[in-house]
Amino acid sequence: MKSFPLVSVVSFVVLVLAQVMVFNHLHVFKTINPIIYLLFFVFYRFESNQTILIALSFLLGFSIDLLSQSGGAHTIATLTIGFIRPFIIRYAFGNTMETPQSYFSDNRILNKLIYLVLLVLLHQLLYFTIVFYSIDALYHIVKNTLLTSIISLILMGITISFYPTKK
Amino acid sequence: MQRILNALLQFRNPILYFFLLGLSIAFSFNQSPFHQYTIEKYGFYFSAKIYEIKDGLSHYFNLKKVNQQLLEENKQLKSRELTSPLIPLYPEALEKPKRFPFKVKKANVLKNSFNNQRNFLTLDMGSKQGIQPEMGVISKNGIVGVVHSVTPNYSNVISLLHQDLKINVRTNKSPAFGSLVWSGKDPTKFLIEDVVSNANISVGDTIVTGGMSSYFPLGIPVGKVTKLEKIQGSGYYSIEASLLNDLSQVYYVYILENIDFQELQSLKKKLPQ
Repeated sequence: MKSFPLVSVVSFVVLVLAQVMVFNHLHVFKTINPIIYLLFFVFYRFESNQTILIALSFLLGFSIDLLSQSGGAHTIATLTIGFIRPFIIRYAFGNTMETPQSYFSDNRILNKLIYLVLLVLLHQLLYFTIVFYSIDALYHIVKNTLLTSIISLILMGITISFYPTKK
Repeated sequence: MQRILNALLQFRNPILYFFLLGLSIAFSFNQSPFHQYTIEKYGFYFSAKIYEIKDGLSHYFNLKKVNQQLLEENKQLKSRELTSPLIPLYPEALEKPKRFPFKVKKANVLKNSFNNQRNFLTLDMGSKQGIQPEMGVISKNGIVGVVHSVTPNYSNVISLLHQDLKINVRTNKSPAFGSLVWSGKDPTKFLIEDVVSNANISVGDTIVTGGMSSYFPLGIPVGKVTKLEKIQGSGYYSIEASLLNDLSQVYYVYILENIDFQELQSLKKKLPQ
């Protein structure tokens, strides 16, 4: 087992605070709150322990739910993303190629983009399905998922571009 | 035994996942009042602390806008004061003294959510300032919600944008009353239930509070009727309404303290169950 990296802990705390204090108040087009804390799944190395990731993703969603007083939708969505992350990595970076050690050690832009899009889209779809929890609201679920995902992806892309990549 | 342990270790990730998933589903869909209250209290304490810091900053940047709103509100109050029946311009209005059992308190909004299905507001006044659960909350353009829980310095308000909150309303023309509920999708669209279909209501009527709950007095404007339909064979109207208040732009509110609250509660207890 690899030693537990400090960057995960720091990114966890910073992302939760950023989400609750800044991004929950952006209200793009009045109703859209971009999601930034999913960057945790980018900063957490691909080769690190999966069991710890599941526990951490539960904690992550739970802290967001607690601090923004939402009913538990963040917890369920984030926990599920934590669980299926290996499948997303395998789909995005390919099964036959050697998977990279972390998001930043890879240079293929398209694969990285697929990874991010899958992460955010699946998370948002789950989140809004739980929030609305009715088949009548299908239109609202799809609309909110797409709009929030696009805005979140743009913001996450900007944030990632500030992070120094090791060559 | 060894095999069972091996199997458990091998499938530790799915097991952990489904265990935590079950836990979170149990939390969100089936909260017992006790758990709900304790968790909410702690979460609420921390989030209020965080929002207080953020609020100090954002209030500064909003000063100009808030000043404009205050001016506008002062203007309206002034005009209301001039036409008020309490001023002896209308001496006959004073003959019937009407009791108004509400005290008004002012509070700032620290946090306001409006894109969940169950939304809450956080205010910077709490039990130390005399705020108690089940007090009505209004803003300058209409009602905002009802106080849900309080800590010494903060209080939590159920927003009107909460699926489970029903407010007793009527229109300014017809005394028939119904309950205002949020449909849970669009923050501007509301439904009014249980209005009998022989009531004289038309599109564009102003909706005011009905005064039949202990939260709000009679006649606070709430919204406007936008769509009216008779439900076939039921004897009730299906009414859609829009709010006068933009609940995403609420920065300060007024809390209504019902002086007769205890009295009304004790009366309610005397009713045969």
